[in-house]
Amino acid sequence: MTPSDIAVLRADDLTLGYDRAVVVDALRLALPPGRLTAIVGPNGCGKSTLLAGLSRLHRPSGGAVLLDGRALARMSAREAARSIGLLPQTAQAPDGLTVADLVRFGRLPHQGLLRQWSPQDQNAVDRALAAADVTALADRPLETLSGGQRQRAWIAMAVAQDTPVLLLDEPTAALDLGHQLEVFELLRELAAAGRTVVVVVHDLTAACRYADHLVALHTGRVVAEGSPQEVVTPELVRRLYGVESVVVRDPAAGCPVVVPLRLVS
Amino acid sequence: MTTSTHPTLRPPAGTRLLRLGSRTILIPVRATVGAALLAALLVFAVTAALAVGAASVGPLRSLPALFGSGDATDVLVVQRLRLPRLQAGLLVGAALGVSGCLMQTLARNRLATPGTVGIDDGATAFAVASVVGVSTSLLPSGMALVGAATAAALALGLAGGAGTSGYRFVVVGLGVGAVLGAVTNLLLVRAPIDAANAAFPWAVGSLNARPALPITLLGIGLAACLPLSVLVGRRLAALRFPDTVAAGLGVRVRAVRLAALALAVVCAGLAVAVGGPLGLVALVAPEAARRVCGPRGVPILSSALAGAVLVLLADTAGRTIAAPVEVPVGLVTSIVGGPYLVWLLLSSRPRRLP
Repeated sequence: MTPSDIAVLRADDLTLGYDRAVVVDALRLALPPGRLTAIVGPNGCGKSTLLAGLSRLHRPSGGAVLLDGRALARMSAREAARSIGLLPQTAQAPDGLTVADLVRFGRLPHQGLLRQWSPQDQNAVDRALAAADVTALADRPLETLSGGQRQRAWIAMAVAQDTPVLLLDEPTAALDLGHQLEVFELLRELAAAGRTVVVVVHDLTAACRYADHLVALHTGRVVAEGSPQEVVTPELVRRLYGVESVVVRDPAAGCPVVVPLRLVS
Repeated sequence: MTTSTHPTLRPPAGTRLLRLGSRTILIPVRATVGAALLAALLVFAVTAALAVGAASVGPLRSLPALFGSGDATDVLVVQRLRLPRLQAGLLVGAALGVSGCLMQTLARNRLATPGTVGIDDGATAFAVASVVGVSTSLLPSGMALVGAATAAALALGLAGGAGTSGYRFVVVGLGVGAVLGAVTNLLLVRAPIDAANAAFPWAVGSLNARPALPITLLGIGLAACLPLSVLVGRRLAALRFPDTVAAGLGVRVRAVRLAALALAVVCAGLAVAVGGPLGLVALVAPEAARRVCGPRGVPILSSALAGAVLVLLADTAGRTIAAPVEVPVGLVTSIVGGPYLVWLLLSSRPRRLP
């Protein structure tokens, strides 16, 4: 079975743009469940726009995003939010909220005026706090946390939303090495539990190390797709970033490691 | 799925769970206590407003007199003279509190009020224009409402619609307000002295001898807007996050923002049509409500209570401080609110602005 047969979320000739400028151009993409997919590419290649399109935040100017075969654009905001969780870059919270308060907001699409708290809400919040390892911080105000702890709290909120698809835009951007590893391990666990996890990353090494599936984006188009072992080559690195490199095997994990040499002259 | 299989449903920290069959409602403890506190303060403010004045009625006699029992003079003073003014103050304060709370949450900025985005100035400019033009008692109130809506529409249109983030709206609103403020001054300078005098209460904010119809309209408007605002406030709680986060949580960002803005404009417009621009009530009341109620939610109801307390106490003080000369309530709220604003900016740690 190919990934596209079982994909929960797929882009079908998806075109996204601002005014007249096309950012994502007739893009076809199938995102497999139970896998961690990394989207890589140079600055301005349309990664974040694609993520916004996949999460219904950005209306397609052509094509469609299909969730279990249904067009995402036809769903209500709430319905989509029960299926797709999104953690944007550099999210900020109002002052004074605690970690538990923040994570509870993840349950918003599941709640109603007369259904403000349910056993499912309680379970989802407890599990999310535990998964992101912030249970001990639950009653701490967010502004008292370190950057890594705060990022894990935000991830816990996205996890509590309990969606089959989880999209994250550079979740490790501000984190040190240890916290980066923590976040990727957590994302791998979530994928292993059957979710479709898609993450935009700049760090090619981390993408190769942790992603099952790699999508390389350049000027709004997919230029390579597959497992990191198959996909990451010196040719791809040159095409994406204009950098000469050698690709070696990680002696421990066996995944490809890109060693940059110089800019292509 | 039924709750009976999960007998240990415990509410999140800081809330109590109310269960009615399968329905569950979370009562935030601190916000509820805060609202009760403000309600108690409001009873005090009402009693003071009815009791204090040129003819002292006495706090213990003022409330019975309100309901028609006790000394005949007391009943006359309370029911005829002070009750209409009390109603005006109560409604104006509550409406400005709600409006300010909505605006601040909407703009994600604690300094945003109907005043800072030009709604006050719009209402004032139009009201003054109608006074110095054709002087009647109802028209200025109607014009104030039109002015408020015009200013809001201008600011919103120039800022690029309801999808824009808060700071643009605030900055554009400041510009619109400045222009309309200049229009008011120009009108007052060029008007004959008697007309300028008649327009003066509109320029500072006063509760003295307000016509009945605008008060009734404000009462009806507030009765409709307050419950709607509380409902919108639940969604607005998520709009304190960036738009992308709120939208990802299933909030219809544009629709919620537009609804909140419309409610804020109607509340502020109706209030300014009664009391004129009551400087800073819309700024201070939500801030006080947030301090009392904590950061979890958007304290619409408490902002209304705090606004009513503030206006009633300010008006009562304005009537008595320099008696028999009456200090307009707008001056009192500015005198009290100005230093409060400075203290607020200096005392609190830097807050993130969008």
